[in-house]
Amino acid sequence: MLSIKNLHASVEGKEILKGIDLEIKAGEVHAIMGPNGSGKSTLSQVLAGNEAFEVTKGEVTLSGGNLLDLETEERAREGVFLAFQYPVEIPGVSNLQFLRTAVNAMRVHRGEEEMNAAEFMKLAKEVSKQVDLDPAFLKRGVNEGFSGGEKKRNEILQALLLQPKLAILDETDSGLDIDALKVVSDGVNALRSEDRAILMVTHYQRLLNHIVPDYVHVLAGGRIIKSGGRELALELEERGYGWLGIKDDAAAAAN
Amino acid sequence: MKPAPTLSSVFLQPAGDALPQPLLALRKQRGTALVDMPLPTRKTENWKYSSKHLKLTDELAATLPTGSATTSAAAEGYRVVLRNGVVDSAASNLPEAQGLSVQRFADLPDADAASLAERLDNTLDSKATQMARLNTARFEDGVLITLKPDTVLREPLFIVHEVTATASGSAFPRLYVEAGRHSQMTLVEEYVSSGTEPAMVDAVTEFMLADGARITSIRLNVEGQNVQHIGATGIRQQRDSRFESHCVGFGGPLRRHDLQLRFEGEGAECKLNGVVVTQGKQHYDNHTSIEHTVPNCNSEETYRNIAADESHAVFNGRIHIHQDAQKSNADMSNKNLLLSTGAEIDTKPELEIYADDVKCAHGATIGQLDKTSLFYLVSRGISRRDANVLLTMAFINELVAQIPVAQVRDSANERLNQFFDETFKGA
Repeated sequence: MLSIKNLHASVEGKEILKGIDLEIKAGEVHAIMGPNGSGKSTLSQVLAGNEAFEVTKGEVTLSGGNLLDLETEERAREGVFLAFQYPVEIPGVSNLQFLRTAVNAMRVHRGEEEMNAAEFMKLAKEVSKQVDLDPAFLKRGVNEGFSGGEKKRNEILQALLLQPKLAILDETDSGLDIDALKVVSDGVNALRSEDRAILMVTHYQRLLNHIVPDYVHVLAGGRIIKSGGRELALELEERGYGWLGIKDDAAAAAN
Repeated sequence: MKPAPTLSSVFLQPAGDALPQPLLALRKQRGTALVDMPLPTRKTENWKYSSKHLKLTDELAATLPTGSATTSAAAEGYRVVLRNGVVDSAASNLPEAQGLSVQRFADLPDADAASLAERLDNTLDSKATQMARLNTARFEDGVLITLKPDTVLREPLFIVHEVTATASGSAFPRLYVEAGRHSQMTLVEEYVSSGTEPAMVDAVTEFMLADGARITSIRLNVEGQNVQHIGATGIRQQRDSRFESHCVGFGGPLRRHDLQLRFEGEGAECKLNGVVVTQGKQHYDNHTSIEHTVPNCNSEETYRNIAADESHAVFNGRIHIHQDAQKSNADMSNKNLLLSTGAEIDTKPELEIYADDVKCAHGATIGQLDKTSLFYLVSRGISRRDANVLLTMAFINELVAQIPVAQVRDSANERLNQFFDETFKGA
């Protein structure tokens, strides 16, 4: 479904991604781990189409179509979803209005009727319950005054509403207590399906106890330096990154 | 150096004399006082940013003729139409309401007219609003609204100020509102125009609030791009009165509004909201002034400007807390959004505080749409246009939502949507 070949990307002239190769098939869950500054978040942002990053080389296709040629909003409509590491607070735009505008943009793209306010409210309330978010949050400004955990649940809520082909979860587990982690993981597990690919970027092995990946990749210095199965994450937890020849700037990586 | 330009004498000639004698006398007196009045220049502090947009060409000197009604009377509600500053009774609709009196200046008995002539302009600082006060030298009619004590008007009173610019010229609409003790009313003023010839509107509205009176004033300016607008609103508040205003303005070749409010009785409060959006080469200048002359009054002011393209918005907020006005509470916020690199916004808080036991907060910011927020929205499939609109609306939503009359809120939103369509059409 997602095919990344020799992807190079820079921000403000500094090269962060230095040749990423990655293939993800429909139905698979891949985890990308790595120390701070390895390029994990850059990869997420580049895939979602953040213009602050410049792709200097390589190609990315989604279901055969060239992803890099598409604008951010077109990528989203083709099924790319990024759960942000730091969801943005937008006071003055209600969460409900934001979600409905997004869902309707997708529906229009697929040639479906837009949902009216009442229909959407019903759907949004149901999905809110699924991620254990009080429907009162729908009426607040987007992420405005949400706690860290509430923001992450709001991201998963969006994924569940938008039903993407490719869900990229950028450090969705960071800052969560164990209860919130369970809720978020349940949400992600509910997203798992045969026609969907999931790419999880994480700093911690802990998330992978709840969402079991099919493949684990280690990203360091802008390249994937090792790939393996689930057991690779466990090995990283025990041994840290040092044995892979990476400067283990984050002892936390294995915590 | 060129001598400072002065107001051409052709601007001091009213068209008709269908007014009671005391008002004609006042008009004449004001006209005489304005002979050789220097026009504002770049060096005139309170017209610094707007003087170059004021174009008083001689063709604007004529009073626009009243003409015939283009709008039909509303089926319900209170509504007065002033066409080119003269009341159009046929287009107006005033169901009888206990305690409310709405009179044309032209119809006032001499004694009442004399009393009104004594009071007109008393709410306005003559120096600061000189241009607007050309109105008193030129008005052809006007509306005197009186609320008897304890009168509570449940339905809003609409005043439609229509300019019919089928020929070039000016209009001088005038309102005087007197709210008795503990009376309550919502007054909506809509400034609209038809026709495409160059025109100028010089409008003055005054409010006198007696003890405990509560007035909500809504002012919507949607005049055409051929119309220069100079307006002033003056307010004087007695004890425990409350004045709330919602000004929504769309830009034009010149839009200038001076709002001057004065607390004269303790326990009074005001809440002043303002939204301005400009695009193209439009210009909008809001000057507000709040005088705390007595203790224990609260003022709260929130203005938002949005400037797109090469337009220019100005906010000048003055708060003057007099020496005796202890325990005054003044809060002023002005936030501004620039939608393009060619747009300009100037904001200036002007605080003069002579009392020592007061709370006075002010804040002014100028910013652009946040790129991270924009990325967040489009990453959910929302179009650039809609994302821009959501973020821009977020900036003023709170103020638009507070407009207490649904009909005005809807027309404001409709005009805002037009503004967004034009501003974000390339997005």
